Order: sequence, then C-alpha cells, then structure tokens
Amino acid sequence: MKTSHIVLIAIVAVIVLVGGCATSTYNNLVSQDETVTRAWSDVQTQYQRRADLIPNLVNTVKGYAAHERETLQAVVDARTKATQITVDPENLTPEKLAEYQAAQGEVSQALGRLLAITENYPDLKASEQFSELQAQLEGTENRIAESRRLFNEATQQYNVYVRRFPNNIFAGMFGFSTKAMFQAEAGSDKAPTVEF
Amino acid sequence: MIVAAAATAATYTVDNLPIPYLQDKTKYVSNPDGILSQETVDSLNLWLGQMETAHGVQTVLAVVEYIEGGDTYEFCMKLGRKYGIGSKEQNSGLIILLSTGDRAYQILTGRGLEGTLPDAICRRIENTQMLPSLREGEWDEAMLQTVRAITLYVDGDDSLVPLSDFDEDDKLALIIFCCFMLVGIGLIIFAIWYDDYQKRLCPNCHKHTMKKISGRTEKKKSLGIRTHYDTYKCTNCHFTKLRTWDESLATASGAYFGGGSFSGRSGGGFTGGHFGGGSFGGGGAGGHF
Repeated sequence: MKTSHIVLIAIVAVIVLVGGCATSTYNNLVSQDETVTRAWSDVQTQYQRRADLIPNLVNTVKGYAAHERETLQAVVDARTKATQITVDPENLTPEKLAEYQAAQGEVSQALGRLLAITENYPDLKASEQFSELQAQLEGTENRIAESRRLFNEATQQYNVYVRRFPNNIFAGMFGFSTKAMFQAEAGSDKAPTVEF
Repeated sequence: MIVAAAATAATYTVDNLPIPYLQDKTKYVSNPDGILSQETVDSLNLWLGQMETAHGVQTVLAVVEYIEGGDTYEFCMKLGRKYGIGSKEQNSGLIILLSTGDRAYQILTGRGLEGTLPDAICRRIENTQMLPSLREGEWDEAMLQTVRAITLYVDGDDSLVPLSDFDEDDKLALIIFCCFMLVGIGLIIFAIWYDDYQKRLCPNCHKHTMKKISGRTEKKKSLGIRTHYDTYKCTNCHFTKLRTWDESLATASGAYFGGGSFSGRSGGGFTGGHFGGGSFGGGGAGGHF
C-alpha cells in the first residue's frame, strides 16, 4: 500500500471522526437548549399567572380596605411595570434576567405589604373569597419557586455542557453560549417581618 | 376519645416516612403513629383505591405527629419528587399530609390535577371539611370529610382516565416473558419431534423409516402404570420390532403441556404498588390550625 493511500485514509478517518463528534455535540446542544427554553417559558407563565391574579385580589381588598389606596396602587403599578418586561429565551443574558427579576421582585414586595395590611381587617381575612384568593396566590408563588428551580437546574446542566471540552469548540462554532440563571433574591434569606 | 400517644414522638423525614403502598397497592394511608383509627384507615384506603381505579389518581395520605422542619409544603414536594407519585402521562398524583404536632396540613396536587382541584378548591375543602374537625382534634373525621370531598371533585372530571395496565417496565417484562415462552415452546416441539425421530430409527437398516403399525395398552393399576405395546415396521427393509414403554398413570394426560398455570399481575393479595413518575409543580393549598 502506498504512503499516499494511508495518508488519504487517515485524513478521511479524522474527518469522519470530527464530523461525528460535531454532529452529536450539536444535537445535544439543541436538545438541552430546548429544555432551557421550555423551562424559561414555564417561569414566565407562572409569573403571568400571578399578574393575572392581582386585579382580582386588589378589588377584593378594596371592598374591605378602600382607604389603603397607596398600598393598593403600589401593587397595581408594580404589576404594570413587570408585565411590560418579557425576556426572549434566545436573549437570556445576565442583564436581561436581572432586569426581569428586579421588576418581579417589586411585585413580590408590593404584594407582601398588601398582605401584611390585610392582617388589620378581620372581616377581610374571614371572607371565603379572600381566603381562596390567598390560596391561589400562595400556590402561584410556590409554582414560581418550583419553575425557577427547574429553570436553574436545566440552565446549569446546559452551561456545564457548553463549557466542557471539546464541546466548547463546537458550541462556539454553532453559536451556543452560556445562559444566565436566577440569583437568590437579595434579602430572601431573611424571614419577612410583619409589623403591627 | 383517647388519642393514642406514640411512646416516642417521632419526627418524620421524607426518607423515613413509611409508604405502605409500595408493599401493598391497596394501602394509600401512612399512619405510623396510629393517629387514625383502623376503621378510618380502611375506609380511606377503599375510597382512594376507587379513585385510582376509576380516574388514575394516585394518592399518598400521611398523618404523623411531627415532620422535620415543620413545613408541610416543602415536605410534600420532596415526597412527590422522591417517589414520583402519579402517572407520568397524566401527572395525577395527590398528597395529603396532616402533622398534628406541627398543627399544619397540606393538600398537594400533581400538575395534571391542578385543573380538577385548583388551589382555591383545595382551600375551600380545607376550610369547610378539614378545619372544623381539626380544631376539635377529631383527626379521623377531618381526613374522612376531606377525602370524601376530594372524591366528589375527581368523580366529576371525566378527563381523568385510569392508568394504563402496563407501563413501560411492564411492557419490557412482558416482551422478555414472551421470548422465553417462544423458546420454551420451540424446545418442547423439538423434543417431541426428536423423540419420534428416534423411534423411527430402524435397528436393521439404520434408516429412519420405521412406522407404527399397531399398538395396545395394558393398565397395571397396582403399579400405577400403563404399559404400551407398540409394533413398528420398517418401510424400507420390512423389519418389525415391538416396543414396550411404561407411562405413569398420574401424569398420563398432558405429559408435556400439563399442570402449569400463569397468574396475572392483578392476582390480589399483597401486591406492591409502584408510582408512575408524576411531577408536582407546587399546586394545592395548605395552612395551620
């Protein structure tokens, strides 16, 4: 066998090997990217669910505590601001995500203040409608937390994959980069205090 | 009413909470501290069993004195994650937890149950069915009323369907079982053919051309056997031979295919159940009393 043949075979073998490697990495990247996208859309769905609950909640509280105008308005404003910010899954940069998280965090804080003042209205607290709304809100907060947890899990897995050698070479070639994750909310490690 | 106090006030974690369902798929209730009466446990098991058969809703109902951390929501989520309660397709898992020492309760719905039992309905059930009895310390009544109310909502939802009889693992097991059966049947057929082939061997010309031309049998009851006298004749060299062989009367019928019977998986008794891998998204409601 001529040397040129051996060289040719070796070149073909390397091309096939690299090609196979690239194909499998690409497919993995696509499916992991899709998982993150799905997790992200679930996060947005759950936040939207909370936004949809707010008008009903505000109206119910208004019926019992109309003069708490300031607190009620703060919730409505925070909601309006937060619903204007949506993040495209293709554009999950740390800045975008931080902006989104900050806007939703304001809603959480405004809601927290609203729920705190409801403590002063025993009739409101005793109403079946409010109790059920509160359950929906709690459930939604739980769903938000769970969807965020799953999103972070999926993103972390994706990021590790993207950064690992030799995947990082192919990821760069195909335009896949690491994605941002949710950071623990500032002050969320402290239990909220309710003052009377 | 005397509430039986457990000798040691156990604090349960997700890992050490007994799940009787895994040993016996008719037992949905985990009552390790004996807080519920046996009668209540039996009723609950019956109702929850009907709910799984008719609607594929897989439930774990636990009543304990204390849980680690005291947070019923967290506990239920971890429990759901650990066991994957509910089917994978329908996600219809349901967890009901009452911790009497922590004075907390929780209904946690699987993702597929959130439409049937929205958070507000769970709260309504808790407020109207569970809380009044809990405040009186009537744990049995609280659980009976709660489960009864839940079954009404579940029965009213026709979109919930029973779990398919075979999930993926069972399918694989069935395929393997069938393969073994086919190999087994093949071997039996070969054995019968080979036995016959050997009988057709002519001792004179060594060709497999012997044919049975006549035969008679003689019962020997005292010995418990039947003796066969078969006359074979070779079609090639016309050599004849008498073959005698004994057959036990006890196995006279169905020497090959006799006896065996196959029991299905739904054979009743203490068959362990298994959870289908359902997921929980955080739906449901809980509270303190």
